[in-house]
Order: sequence, then C-alpha cells, then structure tokens
Amino acid sequence: MLPFFSSTSLTCLVRQVLGAVLVLILVTVCGCQEETWSIQRSRHDLPRDAEVSESRPGHYGGVFVTAESQQPRTFHPLVAEDAYSSQVISLFLNGLTTYHPHKEKVVPELARSWDISADQRTITMYLRRGVRWSDGEPFTADDVIFTFEALFDERYPNRYQGQYTIAGQPIEFAKVDRYTVRFSTAKPYSPFLYVIGFIGILPRHILEKACESGELLQKWSVRTAMHHPEQLVGTGPFRIRSFKPGQRAILEPNPHYWRVDSKGQRLPYVNYLVNRYVQDRNTETVLFASGQIDVASIDPGDVVGVRENEKLHGYKVHHRGPASGISFIWFNQKPGTNDQGQPYVQPHKLKWFTSQEFRQALLYGFNREGLIQSVYFGRAELLHSIISPANQRWYNPDVPKYPYDPARARQVLQEQGFRLSPDGKLYDKSGNRVEFEVYASEGSSTTPQILSTFRENMKALGIKVEIRYLDFGTLVARISRHFEYEAAAMGFTGGVDPSGGRSIYLSSGRLHVWNPGQEEPQTGWEARVDELIRSSEETFDLDERVEYMHRMQQIFSEQLPLLYLLTPHAYAGVKTKWRNVQIPPMGSVIWNIDELYLDPES
Amino acid sequence: MLSFLIRRIAAAVPLLFGISVLVFLLMAIAPGDFLDVARTQQDIPEEYIERMEEEFALDQPWYARYASWLGNVVQGNFGESWIYRIPVADLLKQRIPATLVLSALSILFALCIAIPLGVLAAIFKDSIFDRLSSMFAYAALSIPEFFLALLAVMFAANTGLFPVGGLTSMDHEFMPFWSRMVDYAHHLVLPTLVLGMGSVASYMRIMRANFLDYIRADFVTTARAKGVGEGRVMFVHVLRNAINPLVSASGFILASLLSGSILVENVMNYPGLGQLIFEALMRQDEFVVVAAVLMGCIMLMLGNLIADLLLAWFDPRIRLDKN
Repeated sequence: MLPFFSSTSLTCLVRQVLGAVLVLILVTVCGCQEETWSIQRSRHDLPRDAEVSESRPGHYGGVFVTAESQQPRTFHPLVAEDAYSSQVISLFLNGLTTYHPHKEKVVPELARSWDISADQRTITMYLRRGVRWSDGEPFTADDVIFTFEALFDERYPNRYQGQYTIAGQPIEFAKVDRYTVRFSTAKPYSPFLYVIGFIGILPRHILEKACESGELLQKWSVRTAMHHPEQLVGTGPFRIRSFKPGQRAILEPNPHYWRVDSKGQRLPYVNYLVNRYVQDRNTETVLFASGQIDVASIDPGDVVGVRENEKLHGYKVHHRGPASGISFIWFNQKPGTNDQGQPYVQPHKLKWFTSQEFRQALLYGFNREGLIQSVYFGRAELLHSIISPANQRWYNPDVPKYPYDPARARQVLQEQGFRLSPDGKLYDKSGNRVEFEVYASEGSSTTPQILSTFRENMKALGIKVEIRYLDFGTLVARISRHFEYEAAAMGFTGGVDPSGGRSIYLSSGRLHVWNPGQEEPQTGWEARVDELIRSSEETFDLDERVEYMHRMQQIFSEQLPLLYLLTPHAYAGVKTKWRNVQIPPMGSVIWNIDELYLDPES
Repeated sequence: MLSFLIRRIAAAVPLLFGISVLVFLLMAIAPGDFLDVARTQQDIPEEYIERMEEEFALDQPWYARYASWLGNVVQGNFGESWIYRIPVADLLKQRIPATLVLSALSILFALCIAIPLGVLAAIFKDSIFDRLSSMFAYAALSIPEFFLALLAVMFAANTGLFPVGGLTSMDHEFMPFWSRMVDYAHHLVLPTLVLGMGSVASYMRIMRANFLDYIRADFVTTARAKGVGEGRVMFVHVLRNAINPLVSASGFILASLLSGSILVENVMNYPGLGQLIFEALMRQDEFVVVAAVLMGCIMLMLGNLIADLLLAWFDPRIRLDKN
C-alpha cells in the first residue's frame, strides 16, 4: 500500500468534507432569515398632491419575490421594446397617466388631472405639485417637456415617435407654468390619454447633458443598473438597489414616492421587491409550486399540479378567466406577384381564400369544442372575436359565431360550387383539388395538437391540409416580407385599448396579416373597418367608442379573415400571506404592488 | 521561445478572419433577423422598424455589414449588442468571470480526481477498483452534460442540500464577506461537478493508459533494480512521464468546457457566458454571436498554446525553437 492513501487518512478526509458541507448548509440556512432584509426608511415630507390610495391601510415589511423568464435588456424607456424591460422600467418611472385594470379606464399618475378643450384637440395636464424624484430633486413641467423633446429628437429613434404622431403630425407640447403642460394634436384623438401614459417621464437634471451631447440612448443601460443603480432616478414606487444580470434585480422603496395610504403612510409597504431571472416559464412554475416566489402565472395544464401544494406552501391559484391574447389560422389573400413575376398565391387558391363563405365553412367544420376538452381539459373557451373576452370593456359578445357543425360546412361548400368526389375528395368549380399548407412556428406545446385536429377535421370535409413547422424567424419573414405561404397559424398578445391593435385592424397595417400594407382598402368591408377606427379615435365619448369597436368586431367575425381558435383560461398564483391583492382579468397580477402588505398574522 | 510564440499568434490571425467571415455568412443565410420579434408586436410602429433596419444595416448585404464590422474591429471596437445597446466587449466582460471560475474549478476538480484515480487504476490493474472506475468512466463519458445537469437540478430540488441553480442566494448582497464566499462555493458545487464529470472520466482513462505504458518501461525496471523504493518509482519516475499527454489534452479541454458550459449554464441557470451566447444566437444579435464565437476560438488556441508551453517546461526532450 502507498503511504499517503492509507484508509485512515481517507476517512479523515471524508469526515472533513462532510463537515465542510454541513457548515455550508448551516450558513445558508441561517442566511435565509428575514432579519437580513431589514430596511431603514427615511422620512421625507409628503408631496402636496400626494395620492391617497383607496385600498385598506397596511403595515410595512416583507420581501416580495417574483420570477421573470426574461430579463430586462435596458432600463431606458426610449430604448426598451420588449415587455420585460418595460415592466421593470414601470417600477421606477411613472407616466402622466396610467390604465386602471379594475376601473377599466385611464387614471392620473404624474398628472393629477386634465382638461380637454372644446375642439378636443388641446389637452391641458395639471401635474402633481410637490412630487420629488427619488434623489430628492423636485419634479416639474420641465421634466415632462424634456422627455417629449428627447422623444421627438431625430437623433434618438424610438417606438413612441410613431405612436405619438397623429394624422401625420407629431403631437405638440408646451409648458404653461411650473406644473402645467399643454398638448395638442392635429386631430381629435381619443386614445391620447391612454397612450400618453406609455412613456415614463425622465429626470431632466440627470439626463439633460447626455441628451445634448447625443448620447441619451447610451445612458441607463444594464451597465448603469449594475454599477451605478443610484443613477436610475425616477418617481415610481421603487428604485433599483442592485441588478445582477442572469440572476436578479433587487428594488427598494423610493423614499419620495407620491402615493400614501389613508393613514398617511407612504407606499409601498414591502421592504424589498426581488425579481429573480429564470430560464423559462416552467422554472417559474416550479419555483412557485415549491414556495420560493410569491406570484406566478400558471398555464392551464399546470393548474392541477400546482394546486396540490396550496396548503403546504400557503398560496392560492386564482382563475382569471379567458386569456387576453387571440390566436388564429388565416389565409394569404395578397393579390399580385413577387419580384420574379410569380403570384404570391396560386390564382385558383386565391379565389377560395378570398371567399368569405369558404372561410366560414372551414370554421364550421373545425371541432374547436373537442379541443377544449382534449387539449385544455375544459380550461379554455372558443374565441369568437378579434378582441378577447378578457377585455370586458371592448369585447362584443354578440358577434356571429361558428360552432362545430360539419353538415353546415358541407352545405356551404356545396352552395359555393365545391364538389365532393365519390372517394371523399373536395374539388372546386374548375376541378382543382382543395388543398393547402398551414405554416406554424415551432415551440408551442399546444399548437401541434390544435393543428392536427384542424387537419383531421378538414380531411373529413375532403380538404387536404399539410402542416409545416418553421423556425419563428422564417415564419415571420414569409408572412411579413415574402408573402410566400398559403395559410399560417399565429397568435397576438392582447392590449387594453383597441388603439393598440391598429396595425392588425387597419387595411394599411403591418400586421393586417392576410393582406398587409394596402395603400387603399381593397374590399368594402376593410374600408368600413378603417372608417370605424377613424371615427372611434375621433370621439372622446367612451360609450360611442365602444359602439364603434363592437361594430368593427361584428364585421371581422362576419368576414372571418382570421379563423379564430381558442382562448385558454389564465390562472395566477399568489401567496396567501399578502393582503390587498386584486387580480384583474388581464395585465399584471401585481399591478398594485405598492399597496400589497404582509398579513400580520402570517 | 519568443519566435515560437510569434509564429503561433501570426498563424491565428487568418484563422480568426476566416471564422468571422463564416459566422457572418451563416447568420445571413439563417432565416429571419434580429427585428423579427419587433415585427410581430402589434404596437411597434412600422417607421421605427424601418429606422432600426437602417441603423443595424440589416437592409444591406452581409458582406457590407462584415466590412464595416471589420473596420471597427481593427480599431478595437467590437460593435454594440443590439439587444442590450451596450458595447459587446462590456457585455462579455460582465459574464466572463463567472464562466472562467466555473471552467477553472471544473478543470481543477477533474485533475484532482482523475489523476489519483487513474494512477490507482493502473497500479491495481484488473482489480475490483479498476473495474469499478472503468465502469464509472464509461458511464460518465456516455451521459451528456445537459442531462447530468438536469439530474443535478433534480437532486438539488429534491434534497434541498444545494441551491437550484444560480450563482448567489437572494440575500447575497446583505451578507458579510465570508458568508458571501461560502455562498458562492455552495452554488458552485453542483455546476463544477456536472461540468467536470466528463473530463474526470476522459482524464482518468488517459492517465491509466499512460501509466500502464510506463510501468512496463525499461527505465522503471532499472530503477527498481537499483533498489529505488516502490513509491518513488511510481510517483516520481512513472507519473512524471505519464502526465505529459494529460497536459496536451487539457489544451482542448479549455475550449470544450466553454462549449459544454453553454448547455450546463442554461440548464442550471448559471449567469455566465453560456446564457448570453444562447440568447444572442436565438435572437441573432450578430455582433455578440461573432464576438462569442471568436472568443471560443481564441480560448481554444490559447489553451493549446499554454499546453504546448507547459509540455516544453515539463519535458526536457521537447524544444520549441527548433522546428
């Protein structure tokens, strides 16, 4: 035997290793105690126009942990184009207005109130007086003017420039006094109050120099958040304490936040808000089901499994009703030819695809009801309209519906001159076999099940459907640039105000997917939709706007350019120790994070 | 020595050039581009997308983009990440330390386990220990790293002995210095094991084979005949000779650890380069992808260079300057 590998020294080594592991475990266990998360709250005077929360007053304390499957790419509102960056930005910056998901209307944020002029083109915003930035500097109209000047600066392209250009004219803005700003639009534009809240107001005293030297967009990157989080100055409920890419962001209360509870305590109640960055939605679900995070969205398929641990980890899975997104199959209706002179769609197929009756027949022949049971175990419902039923204010429940009715589907096809051959194949008037390819993107777990059912249902009508899965990039290129496809399946996430869906609804829209970017509306009904949207954006009367949008949905469901699929139900889990939780039907579950407080009993 | 170094570095330049051309070409052939995600978002205006296409030169052919990129690289500027809007060099710099620590630890772990195991397996050839260690080696070699990573995550989740992924605990920044170090160590255990396991097996097999070769060598018999003690024969005479191939093998290991870490980091939620490169590939963030690929190549060449230098230092028979 060799001297230094004797069995005694080996056992000794094993014992040492085990000992070290034990110490490690002990240290981590001790490290998890709540005391580490204590905080010193500095007292500052409340602003003159502080907003008093309508929710029940609570107590300070607690750490709220969330998991995000994507991390912010920037902390700069003019650079952000993804929801994850916008989400974290909204925690430390405020807009002038915001959308209240329960009241379903626009409510004041940094603007305490506003006036709309008689011609509805001028909107005067009165800002909250006495509000301070998180570094203690006063917030005034100069900050608002600075933000809009930067936004319209040619050197800094950003998504808001297009959004704030109304009837071809950028909105105009001017400072009236220290706390008043006047906006005017070229035409009356009713979504204005909603969209004006999108942009977080930037602190002039921090960013003015960078803006002048042309380096505004280089500021407030992930680098800033990592090394100098104190430079991310805002008016929101939180400020960034630390940001570790790939790991987490820790936010702490903004000591100058402008909302208080009815007892005069400055919000938010939580000591810290932690956003943990995880790889995917599944990890988020696992973390929630093992009690490690306080909130999570749960997929319908995971609801039963996650509910099993409700008692053990003290959380509850809430049903939110239908999800806000829409999903659909559509046919390429683009006329004309590509650069090589080839038609985008073969002419005889284009004839089917542009036929309203053909599309209706196919939807009648599609057993979506069966899918609800087989794929979602009943946790979904049929989608009937271009606006999801989750959007209760705008959804039109009375649109034409297409329940599964294969006999009716056959009848409609027959009336349109389609003939079924004795061996069960469908031919059109000119004797062409009815067949087409559907493209879908890879990655979704439910799409293949839905499309396989579609294929089988179509086969029963005598139609041959091929399904091809493409990489997301290829799919987007085909449907938005090359138009080389026959049919495709896709979905869109839903917004609150229908003005967010303009690019789908308008015939000139980029996402008017069946025939995008039309110079003139090519069909009568598309012209009618364009007109309805124009009218709805010109009236400030909410009921009237809703009426226009109901009519628009009616037309879409009659014409059926999109064969609507299903809308799965949405679920959200929250730990029961949190009070003031009010889960809205759509949008963020913790939209009122500043009002959440820890149950003193827990 | 110096001329050897210069020659090796000069040879690397055309190689890196070729690789960068290839990456740009492949990215151009790959369907879609960086703006695809923006294109399917309904509330992003078209003018903005057009403006971005122009800014990123996506409306130009790939060779035009390559030319301007090369021009910048010559001036030491590797471009800006389109996702993060910060210089690529900064972005990589954030993530390199975590990956380097993990790689270094797993190499160290692999060597520390593999050398003794290999030596023991050779000395006690055909014993039960040798058989068991061979079995372990084959098993470890045949399990892909990402699968091992999944098992490790499951182990951590079920036993609670180790954290499920990450590099630090949530309250890391509230801890005193030593607790923070312990916290790092605690988080590094599983990723190191997972990433090192494959190398342990291959190192061990190399070690065992070489050791066996040299045990039968003439100089060993001579040493024994001269009455040198068995321990000295094995650990001074045989080991020193048998370790050479291991040194040259570790040059490749450096590069393979980097590629292995992409998968392991993604499965284990480890905030290193792997996550970043994976995201950049998925989103086609061109300059980050090309910089990451180039860095991988440089690591490979650097690893080999270091291995050659070490070899020369270990083995007096090797002379670098004489070609």
